[in-house]
Amino acid sequence: MRREGPSRASNSAPAGGGEAAKPRARGEHASQRVKRWLWFALAAATVAIVLFPIYWMIVTSLLPSSIVLSRHPPLLPPLEHVSLDAFAGVFRRRPVLTWILNSALVAIGSTLVSLVIAALAGYSLSRWQTRAQKVAGAALLLTKMLPGSLIVVPFFVMFTTAHLIDTRAALVAANVAVGVPFATWMMKGFFDTLPRELEQAAAIDGCTPLQALWYVILPLARPGLAACAIYLAIVAWSEFVFARTLVTRAELWTVTVGLQSFVGEYLVDWPALMAAGVVSLAPMLVLFLLLEPFLVSGLTSGAVKQ
Amino acid sequence: MRPSLHDAERRLAWLLLAPALLAVALLIAWPLYVIVQMSMRPGKALAISELMARPLGTANFDRVLHQQALWDAFGHSAVYTAGSLVPAFVAGLLFALLFHRAFPARRWLRSLLLLPWAVPGVVVSITFLWMLDASYGVVNAVLRDLGILSTDIAWFVDARTAMAAVLVPTVWKSFPFFAITILAALQSIPETLYEAARVDGASAWQRFRHVTWPGIRGPALLAALLNALWTFREFDIIYASTRGGPAGATETLGILVYREAFESFRFGTAAAIGVLMLGTAAIFVALSMRVLRREFT
Repeated sequence: MRREGPSRASNSAPAGGGEAAKPRARGEHASQRVKRWLWFALAAATVAIVLFPIYWMIVTSLLPSSIVLSRHPPLLPPLEHVSLDAFAGVFRRRPVLTWILNSALVAIGSTLVSLVIAALAGYSLSRWQTRAQKVAGAALLLTKMLPGSLIVVPFFVMFTTAHLIDTRAALVAANVAVGVPFATWMMKGFFDTLPRELEQAAAIDGCTPLQALWYVILPLARPGLAACAIYLAIVAWSEFVFARTLVTRAELWTVTVGLQSFVGEYLVDWPALMAAGVVSLAPMLVLFLLLEPFLVSGLTSGAVKQ
Repeated sequence: MRPSLHDAERRLAWLLLAPALLAVALLIAWPLYVIVQMSMRPGKALAISELMARPLGTANFDRVLHQQALWDAFGHSAVYTAGSLVPAFVAGLLFALLFHRAFPARRWLRSLLLLPWAVPGVVVSITFLWMLDASYGVVNAVLRDLGILSTDIAWFVDARTAMAAVLVPTVWKSFPFFAITILAALQSIPETLYEAARVDGASAWQRFRHVTWPGIRGPALLAALLNALWTFREFDIIYASTRGGPAGATETLGILVYREAFESFRFGTAAAIGVLMLGTAAIFVALSMRVLRREFT
């Protein structure tokens, strides 16, 4: 049910604040309504300040250097100068498309592998108490403590020995390493919310445990799988230290390595760099808006809390 | 109710776990073992077999413990971790309290507020490099127009301001994590508690102190621990903006490990620094666990 005022997220608290306030809201006084709009104004102002860096990145990418490189840059873009030239220019001069493609391949590959592994393991951890619970907990804690810039050292040695340096497979494997422990806990937390009676009912209907998992549980777990996949994809897309170390050939660079290669140049072409930044950020923004409801509803809290 | 483990079920349980256990063994446990081995085998060797053939010794540790760079990096890591944790926590808490109120379009504003969390570290870095640029950065321009600055500050280039310059993007990327966690905790506090407090005539501060804070303290402290671990090992934001410079002013342990390994090609000493780093994190976790256990049991 929707009402004019505050739209509580569909997934929000059980009988939380807004729900309890509902009867009062109907006979609400004008002062109450003014208060809500004041809170809205404060929240909107906060968001505007917080998002200024993203705004500034976009504005810079849309303006020519002659305007951007100024002692008094205009905070609002002069509309007559707005153009997509910086985007065209950076795509022409740098292999941005190749970087994006590499990032996408690595992110998709590592997300799929991690998701399959994590879904199976999360299901097992949720349904059967084995000694693996401790292993999984320790692995999660370890990945929270292990710096990427440290574990990349043995990865470099291992992948050199295995002739996997300069392959996307190395990047997929490295992302799987950090992705699986967290994703497993996330999936376990989700499976924990599905009642065991589902499998019992499936067993009565003659399903083997594996069939019950495939035909009954996994379809119900789709929202959890989606949230987990989006999370893994965001992490893999953002990954930098593995990509910077485990591949050296420029045609295998991911987008984060490509962006970083601009830094330290004698004259940084800021509109071009910001344009490349915007292009690399856009898919993350879409994924995040899909993921965000799950984050606040606390689906991941099981994983976060171990 | 846990069903008794029949053999078939037990087999299935382990079968489903097998790929994950394999991944953890191969990609976490084994690399960790290699790190420890490397740290204890002095000398240069790239191939694992060659490395393992070297005699054990503590030369790597002796060497790094006598390096001023290590102790500087410890200091920088401490400043960087604490210096981003506190502002990010406070900002996350305030934003969570604000967004727990009812107002129009809250759902959308909340999504937008949390966006920085999803921005890749390298993208965060380049954005703030540009905003904090000495000559053309918007921050200096605004500060000049407001009359706060008379000269340009090269935030990332000046050794005195570089740490502050890397802290700002770090806080910007990490406050949403606190906001999300605390917001979820706030939603689980029953409204009746607030009503009871109001009936008892509690002031806004007393309501926060005696109802809100006890309700969010556990998750908030856990979030603080996880975020501290994240910043302690953070690499992307610093490396992509300053590479640990200028003159080592932002060289944290995570950066030092990487430069030792891939710029100086001393894997043994890099691994030794890494072991010290893991030990520090482990001590920190052990101490925090005692506090957290009280919260959650």
